[in-house]
Amino acid sequence: MANIKGSDIQKVVVACDAGMGSSVMLASQLRRQLKKHRVTVEHTPVNSIPADADVVVCHAGLVARARGSAPDKVIVPVQVFIGDPAVARLVKAVETGGELDG
Amino acid sequence: MAEGLGALLEPAAIRLAETATDRDAAIRRCGEVLVEVGAVAPAYVAAMLDREQSVSTYVGEGVAIPHGTLAGKETVLRDALAVLRFPDGVDWGGQPVTVCVAIAARGDGHVEVLGELAQILLDPDRAAALRAATDQATVYDLLTPIEETA
Repeated sequence: MANIKGSDIQKVVVACDAGMGSSVMLASQLRRQLKKHRVTVEHTPVNSIPADADVVVCHAGLVARARGSAPDKVIVPVQVFIGDPAVARLVKAVETGGELDG
Repeated sequence: MAEGLGALLEPAAIRLAETATDRDAAIRRCGEVLVEVGAVAPAYVAAMLDREQSVSTYVGEGVAIPHGTLAGKETVLRDALAVLRFPDGVDWGGQPVTVCVAIAARGDGHVEVLGELAQILLDPDRAAALRAATDQATVYDLLTPIEETA
């Protein structure tokens, strides 16, 4: 488990296996929601999470692989790619500057 | 942007009256269409089935986005989409799926279209229109990225 203050989040990485489908769609949603907060949102394969990521968002089934690839990052697991409450918590943390665990 | 969509999604890759007995059969049909339009090598179909085994590509509102694995990316010849509609529905791990947006991508050419698809899924009326689409023009209209006004 790691944690980060919402106000310290500058880069969010959405990870999936190939970085081709689900992560792309989720990243586009997050980019819209976080644009006004100057947070960068990228999508990548789960095996190549960039070192400067502050938060990693991925499907619950890929958390173990994400943790192996980025052990010190806050990881936000999602069950659904559109409208997941975990994503809403991440957006809220960025908006309010509050703590985010994962 | 319509031009970009046209390059990604050929008319030949829009099939609106498909049938499939189950999820794997639907994914195979998606893969076959991507092969037919020259977007992927036949081996990509197995990668799509593998990908589905690890995590479902169901994204809500009766829509799934089958695509390959990282390993399968080598069999992608060009970025492309296919839209397959199964009017009778397909059981997708307990969720009924009517529309598959199949993806083959090496680059980021498809990112804007998927962003538009995400917007559609957040809008029940547009999602219903996509599920009900019986002509290609409707599919193009729905998936063409709209300039943000907000």
